[in-house]
Amino acid sequence: MAVFYSNALRCSINGYRSMSMFPKHYAEPIKRKDMEEFNKSELTKFYHIPIKPALNSYSDTVFNDEIKGKMLNYITKNGNKNLARGLLSRTLEIIKRAQTERMHLSPDDKQKVNTNAEKILIDAVENSRPLLQLTSIKRGGVNYQVPVPITKKRSYFLSMKWLLDAAFEKDNKVGLPERLAWEILDAAHGQGRVIKRKDDLHKQCESNRAYAHYRWS
Amino acid sequence: MKMFRKHFGNLSRVSTQLQRNVLQLSTNAEASPVEGTAAASVNEFRTAVANPGEHSALHVAKFYTIPVEQKKQIFTGGGLPKQYEQQIKTFTESCLMVRSPALELLHYIKNADLTKPVVRYVLYGDNGVGKTLTMAHVLHYGAINDFLLVHVPWAPNWMKRPKEASNATQEGMLDLPFDAAAWLVHFKTQNAKLLQQLQLKTSKEYVWSKRESTPAGSTLIELVEHGISRIKYATETTVALISELKQLSTAGQCKVMVAIDGFNAFFHPETRIFSDNKQRVTPDRITLTQPFLDITSYDWTNGVCILSVDKLAMTEGYMDSYMPRYLLGTAGFEHIDPFVPVHVDNYTDKEFHSYINYYLDRHWINKTPKGFEEQLKFMSNKNPYTLMQLVKSL
Repeated sequence: MAVFYSNALRCSINGYRSMSMFPKHYAEPIKRKDMEEFNKSELTKFYHIPIKPALNSYSDTVFNDEIKGKMLNYITKNGNKNLARGLLSRTLEIIKRAQTERMHLSPDDKQKVNTNAEKILIDAVENSRPLLQLTSIKRGGVNYQVPVPITKKRSYFLSMKWLLDAAFEKDNKVGLPERLAWEILDAAHGQGRVIKRKDDLHKQCESNRAYAHYRWS
Repeated sequence: MKMFRKHFGNLSRVSTQLQRNVLQLSTNAEASPVEGTAAASVNEFRTAVANPGEHSALHVAKFYTIPVEQKKQIFTGGGLPKQYEQQIKTFTESCLMVRSPALELLHYIKNADLTKPVVRYVLYGDNGVGKTLTMAHVLHYGAINDFLLVHVPWAPNWMKRPKEASNATQEGMLDLPFDAAAWLVHFKTQNAKLLQQLQLKTSKEYVWSKRESTPAGSTLIELVEHGISRIKYATETTVALISELKQLSTAGQCKVMVAIDGFNAFFHPETRIFSDNKQRVTPDRITLTQPFLDITSYDWTNGVCILSVDKLAMTEGYMDSYMPRYLLGTAGFEHIDPFVPVHVDNYTDKEFHSYINYYLDRHWINKTPKGFEEQLKFMSNKNPYTLMQLVKSL
């Protein structure tokens, strides 16, 4: 452990501070159980490379998915992940129920209805990702709302946060899973409040494009 | 300058995304993992034989469809678990899997000598293994083969969450008028057609009050309808109806199939119903208990009794084992003593595989990475209810 810590220190002395305690040359662990698909020559690459330890939330089951996992973390309150897991799985169930019923009731265009709730969730998150955001920059005593590009990670964060915000905003006579499910279904079809929020932000960025140069001057 | 270009690039991305959103409205199609639902009837996990009387070992682990009309007749007032009802609604078809406990029961019933005193069959097994659905399968058989159904969908409802409890005419007893009336409605919907056909008559006059009475020789439908319209007398009507049914079937005028789910609730040490002096009453002080204990004794013929004992019918502290002797207690066990136990167990490998195929066919499992079936098998321990819960979010 001491080695890692000194490594991290050295990195910070050299000018940049990595958030990870592992230096950059450490390889990501492979999260797959069936190693048969890898051919041997590929695996030999890892013989002399140090590998980061796997997180304890990594799993190789059918239930696992990266975006689902992130969403799960954002739903969690006070560390009660068990509750959050129940809420999310109920959400996905509601989505799937709605879609499956729709599919079985419309015999002609059966293949058009997507019954994969996880795909719908991913679609919804991708659809509501913003490309730009506004930051307040002070120039000559005036605060300007300046459009700046956004990192990939933050765009994912924002889209999921917006989905949850929209769900929490709704009338709380029904539970969170129902509200979240309808929000996700809307967003996956490119409608709804989250998409509108994203478009509003984009419009504002567009109208504030004249201030864009304040980002560097 | 370079920065400017980058910035413009971003803005053009904005506008393309705005357009993309419009497009997204129309195209959200995804290729599903399983195809070919059109050829539903030829699937290897389905069987076209919809008559439970014809099911044999050939059809084990296969699904048969209950026709909509019959499902409406038998299960409108309960009889299928709530989540299963939901599944039926989602899949837009009511399918039941043919399983060995149900086949065993059907075999016994088909070969039983109805002139002998009734045989009591007791379904038992762990939580969520399909006792209720086994019973549903047998009920379907009974409804098709002209049995009058005396079916209690879930007896603990009366002991745990009754609509209302009031004092009965008998000293120290409690009535559950609304529950009794609801049961009479259930009885009527299940047997309306058969009652019309058989024209069963009451043997004696029933006097409810000074002005109200049901004369001897009126039909059972009249008796039931009186109980439904005069909710105050619903419990007494139930008692009368059941004693009439016993007499009629002993006389050979009809066949009766008794099916009581959660039968051990009648022998639970206490209920959640409070008497006037704010004390919990025991089930034997509920008037509704009497007729159903009466019809499960062996002093009548021309009928079958299917009872199920369930851990969930008990309350905390009494749920240690699922064995009939434990759940029924001494009194209950002695009440139904010579009985035929039928053990309902978790899925076999074949049944499990068939169920997974069914879920895939219904587009209920959408994620099929390599080895998912083994994972589900391991995690659910092949327990039907657990499998249902696990698969919900897949």
